[in-house]
Amino acid sequence: MKTTIAALMVFCALAAPAAAQDEPSISIRPFVFGSVQSFAAVDTFDAVFGRSYDPFFGGGLQAVFGGTFYVELSASRFRQTGQRAFISGGQKFRLGIPLTATIVPFEVSGGYRFRFSPRVRPYVGVGVGSYQYKETSTFSDPAEDVDVRHAGVLVNGGAEFRVHRWVGIGAEVEYSHVPGILGTGGVSLQAGEKDLGGVAGRLKLIVGR
Amino acid sequence: MLRLRVRSAASAVFVAVALVLTLNGQSPTAPSFRIENIGLPAVEETAAIWSEARPGGRVDAIKRAARDTSTANSRTGASGRAYTPGRVIVRFRDDVPVAERRAVARLGSNTAEVSERPSYADFDIVRIDATEDAEAVAAALAARPQVVYAQPAYHVHASMVPNDPNYTTLQWNLPLVDLERAWDIQPDGASTVVVAVLDTGVAYRNATINVNIPAFRNAGVNYPALGPSVVPYAGAPQLIGANGANASRIVAPFDILSNGTNPPLDLEGHGTHVSGTIGQLTNDNIGEAGIAFNVKLMPVKVLGSFWDVKFGFAPFEGGSDDDVARGLHYAADNGAKVINMSLGSSGPSNCASAPSTPGCSPTIEAAIRYAIGKGAFVVVAGGNEFEDVDPDFGANPTSVLAEIASRIPGAVSVAAVDPQKNRAFYSSTGAYIELAAPGGTSRGFGRGGFIFQQTFDFNFTDTFDPTVVPPSQYRAPRFDVLANIGIVGTSMAAPHVSGIAALLMQQGITDPAAIEDALEKSAQDIGTPGRDPSFGFGLVDARNALRGLGLTR
Repeated sequence: MKTTIAALMVFCALAAPAAAQDEPSISIRPFVFGSVQSFAAVDTFDAVFGRSYDPFFGGGLQAVFGGTFYVELSASRFRQTGQRAFISGGQKFRLGIPLTATIVPFEVSGGYRFRFSPRVRPYVGVGVGSYQYKETSTFSDPAEDVDVRHAGVLVNGGAEFRVHRWVGIGAEVEYSHVPGILGTGGVSLQAGEKDLGGVAGRLKLIVGR
Repeated sequence: MLRLRVRSAASAVFVAVALVLTLNGQSPTAPSFRIENIGLPAVEETAAIWSEARPGGRVDAIKRAARDTSTANSRTGASGRAYTPGRVIVRFRDDVPVAERRAVARLGSNTAEVSERPSYADFDIVRIDATEDAEAVAAALAARPQVVYAQPAYHVHASMVPNDPNYTTLQWNLPLVDLERAWDIQPDGASTVVVAVLDTGVAYRNATINVNIPAFRNAGVNYPALGPSVVPYAGAPQLIGANGANASRIVAPFDILSNGTNPPLDLEGHGTHVSGTIGQLTNDNIGEAGIAFNVKLMPVKVLGSFWDVKFGFAPFEGGSDDDVARGLHYAADNGAKVINMSLGSSGPSNCASAPSTPGCSPTIEAAIRYAIGKGAFVVVAGGNEFEDVDPDFGANPTSVLAEIASRIPGAVSVAAVDPQKNRAFYSSTGAYIELAAPGGTSRGFGRGGFIFQQTFDFNFTDTFDPTVVPPSQYRAPRFDVLANIGIVGTSMAAPHVSGIAALLMQQGITDPAAIEDALEKSAQDIGTPGRDPSFGFGLVDARNALRGLGLTR
């Protein structure tokens, strides 16, 4: 994995000189991304899924103004099946009953892009999101399923590498804080964890100048 | 014929302190006995209607109520079947593209949306407005050429509704703890878990008891010596199967009272009844159901009964702290993962702070801790003395063993409720009560208040009791006639918790303290909100416990 990322970075750095010099005043750029999020609710996710990190996949649209300021809308999705569980005295017991959780974040963020080099544009941003959380499990009555939405905040930062006049690759880290969903019941209440957010490492494929 | 055994609450839980009977008129000849390993199969009596039974009575009403809660989000269609409103199951032809599927769905209902295909499904869910007639929408969609089939999301009943005939008519207690839906989750019946029953023994095998029955005096009546007698004994078919077909579920039976010399045969019926609640054979079209119906049972005899004394098997009725402590060690050392103790004793209430106070039982406390340390979950009856006034310990005296259990993670004390989830009139109260379970009542519910399981027909065993058999007809007991017997007491409540604990172990929670935690956190909070002296954390709920927790609910 590390080798792949390193190779990708080298490829980006050696890629064709970017079109940074002739950035338009407004650029609308669609993108897709994949990320791996390390959830803040470590014990909660570990109890149900056996680990506390999982992938999100999504896409969005970014508007860049004068090559420096940007606003971005994105949607992504996490879906994972684990097991209903119980935590007691620090021990986690998985009960073999399938549970599927789905998280769908809609995020709006904006920030500033630094002029580091023609090929590499570091950036930082902040934003807000609306996070939908669904939970279904075998043997549940419909009323026992969960479908809630709550707002959260995020900060992110990363760098965009131009690999072609029309194509860029972004690597970023995002921290999100999503209160109000976890911690009211279930394993998260037992674990005392209230944040559905966490830290995500993300790779973006950006189309546009 | 159905027999009811109406016992006082106090007699349902055995007193573990030594109670030496005065044997007026006892024959000077010491009893002698020989137990042969052969015997005829049991005579199984089938149920008949008790004279006080009321058609459509409370048992049925409670079952209906229990089932109604599981179909809260339902609507009954013109077909008569209940379904989940707001959705239709549709199987489109494979060659129909997604966009066309949406268009076809709209032809069935203006509000139709094809939602995400569920996992493990080859069909789609079409969401419609919850007020719409899903059967009509399904019929409209099924008529489209792009659709293979369409139907509402009809409800199905729990797959595990036992066919045992008395389950639906007598066993209000099992639906009360939501056991049907628990069996759906854990249909195996805890086949890998061993539950030890520390009690009067269990009718776990056939035998013939050759014994010299002496004269004695009981209830003011002098009973003559019967001399050498042959007492037939049969294992309960609802525990070991017809002709012992399921006898392999009995593991490591042991009689503490004789240090293993005698087999731990139940000469009272209490231990057999308790074992039935834990694990009576189920779904076999006979008698009643048990909770963990495939569990392995370990009979550990720590209590003597009337006939044990007369046969010379035990020095007195009941048991003593050392017997119980040894039973706990034996069970834990031989692989029991749940230990049921439907026994108790009144004592002081300050044993926690002053364990050397006369009347406290530090030996049993140490033994319970030992058993838990070996991975066994311990269940103790909460006591039947609510209406009693003990000359030493006052009204509603503390049940010493239950109080011990309340202080040890991995052991629980269990109170009893009646069919309406009220505290049973006899059920002791106190800060030491941790959970409640159905124990039944002999007041106000007739037959429908009792806990029924297969055990000995007391008309054939309690020949010493003038209220059962006229003294003029006194005869040697028979322990080979088994019937469906109703008893009440916290002795009956405790095995509900033991059975559910066994299912929970099979489900994956193996630590005794965690099992206690799960049972308490998943209990139905009845009575005063929060933990209270009557119900503890509440009525044990099998389905909630086995289902565990999701991330948020």
